[in-house]
Amino acid sequence: MSGDIINANPTVLDVSQLPTRREKYTKESAKGGQSDILLLNNLLSLSLLTPSGDLNENKAGQVTPPELTDDETEAEEEEAEDPIDAQEIYDLISSISDPEHPLTLGQLAVVNLNDITVTDPRDPTKIGEVLIKITPTITHCSLATLIGLGIRVRLERSLPPRLRIKILLKEGSHQSENQVNKQLNDKERVCAACENEQLLKVITHMLSTCI
Amino acid sequence: MAEISLSHTFKGHSDKCWSTSVHKKYPLLASVSSDKTCRLYNLNTKQLIAILDDDTHSKAVRTVDWKPTGDFPSLAVGSFDSTISIWGREDEDGDEMEISVTAATASGSEWSLMAVIEGHENEVKAVSWSCDGEYLASCSRDKSVWLWETDEANEEFECINVIQDHSQDVKHVVWHPFTKFLATSSYDDTIRLYKQDSYDYDDWINVAVLTGHQGTVWHSDFEKIDPDQGIRLCSGSDDETVRIWKRVSGAELSKQKNGEAIPSVVREDSHSDEWVEEAMLPKVHTGPVYSVSWNKNGLIASASADGRIVVYEETAKGVWRVVAVKETTHGIFEVNSIEWWSSPDGEMLVSAGDDGNVNLWSLSL
Repeated sequence: MSGDIINANPTVLDVSQLPTRREKYTKESAKGGQSDILLLNNLLSLSLLTPSGDLNENKAGQVTPPELTDDETEAEEEEAEDPIDAQEIYDLISSISDPEHPLTLGQLAVVNLNDITVTDPRDPTKIGEVLIKITPTITHCSLATLIGLGIRVRLERSLPPRLRIKILLKEGSHQSENQVNKQLNDKERVCAACENEQLLKVITHMLSTCI
Repeated sequence: MAEISLSHTFKGHSDKCWSTSVHKKYPLLASVSSDKTCRLYNLNTKQLIAILDDDTHSKAVRTVDWKPTGDFPSLAVGSFDSTISIWGREDEDGDEMEISVTAATASGSEWSLMAVIEGHENEVKAVSWSCDGEYLASCSRDKSVWLWETDEANEEFECINVIQDHSQDVKHVVWHPFTKFLATSSYDDTIRLYKQDSYDYDDWINVAVLTGHQGTVWHSDFEKIDPDQGIRLCSGSDDETVRIWKRVSGAELSKQKNGEAIPSVVREDSHSDEWVEEAMLPKVHTGPVYSVSWNKNGLIASASADGRIVVYEETAKGVWRVVAVKETTHGIFEVNSIEWWSSPDGEMLVSAGDDGNVNLWSLSL
């Protein structure tokens, strides 16, 4: 991106601070009170019963599903027994590069695990939703739309089409919150943007740090 | 509850299917897609007639509309590449359509590109022909609506007016089925209505702005009745609702008789109509409503990102009930378009989805 840097001095998280499955497991086990729930979740995940209700952090202690690959057939085969959770979404998008800084969206806390909600009916014939609330580093960040678009492109390429992706700015995080939200969730505008070669080039660059 | 059942699936598009158009006279179906092509089918035999894809459009093809008039079938196709292409079968004698459709199925090469219309700055979102085929309207993300005057043979397209009233993308444009009355829907959450000036035919008057939707208005469609009996419009929005709007007062509109416009006798003082939101249809959809269609029997159908097709019936003036709901009509994909077809076996529905398919549905009431 050319011109002045919009946020020259953002807060940066250390990579080791970022949430991962392994870290949460140890952190929650240490809390004692949480361990019962964790144990229950582990039991549930081992049984043939599928735990009902929304996925939330407590259930993240399940057996780690493998990384979603680009191989669609593989992803489809595993879909039935391998529901998508917030951590998996986080893993997919936290490694996206910021268009302005040589840092990832996870490091800049633009995306946060707690702001990802997955409503997955765990049925390949049913429609689910992934809701992501992003927090731009500054409230007048003109790159918020581009960041949101990058996240959308990443997820559309990685997730099964039955999951509708909704990307919103976190409440109060941006002065043009409604405008940006409207753009990011307008199907026609997103499709047209993805046919814009210059824009796609920038997004490809942002996604180049994704595994 | 009535039953909506799948009658046929037209496959072939390799990407999202955005929109369809059924010809008013002939059993012709056109569908357009992000794969940059327009496919033409014979609705009776279900056979593919032609694929219009000779690199005319460099980006997604978003909208298609058959011209309602002319000695041969022709259609307008609008693309995200900002252009509109006009296609036709010039050698066609309309009366022998049954035979020619069969012939066209075999060769598929007789459809020719007649014109490419340029003018919009960016993505064309919708095109629509006026009832007499004299005008083509188009709208775009550039916030404008262009009106093009043309002739029987589609030889010339002259831009007679550029309307720039909406503050954001114009998502859709549609003509009244029997009069020179136009509805435009926008990302600015409003619908605007235009009528032709009785004295200066090139002038179009914005007679009303309909506000009420809480999100982008994606689509609208007029009630299929004589405008003398009143004008109503249904609209579908990102706010997940379908609403009915009614013109409660306004000047008499010029009517089409034998293809000639008859100017209204008295020039009205006010250049505005009074419109009200007459009803909000029972809420079924849980996603943006991308398309609505009002059939000649008074039924309304709506289609949404939630994968559902819903049919509504008016039980008393302004009172509506749901008569049929069909879930996952394109699997887990979104439905972009819904349209009625008056088939020989009764009213049917044509839907287009992100799975690239066009589905034909029968309705048993």
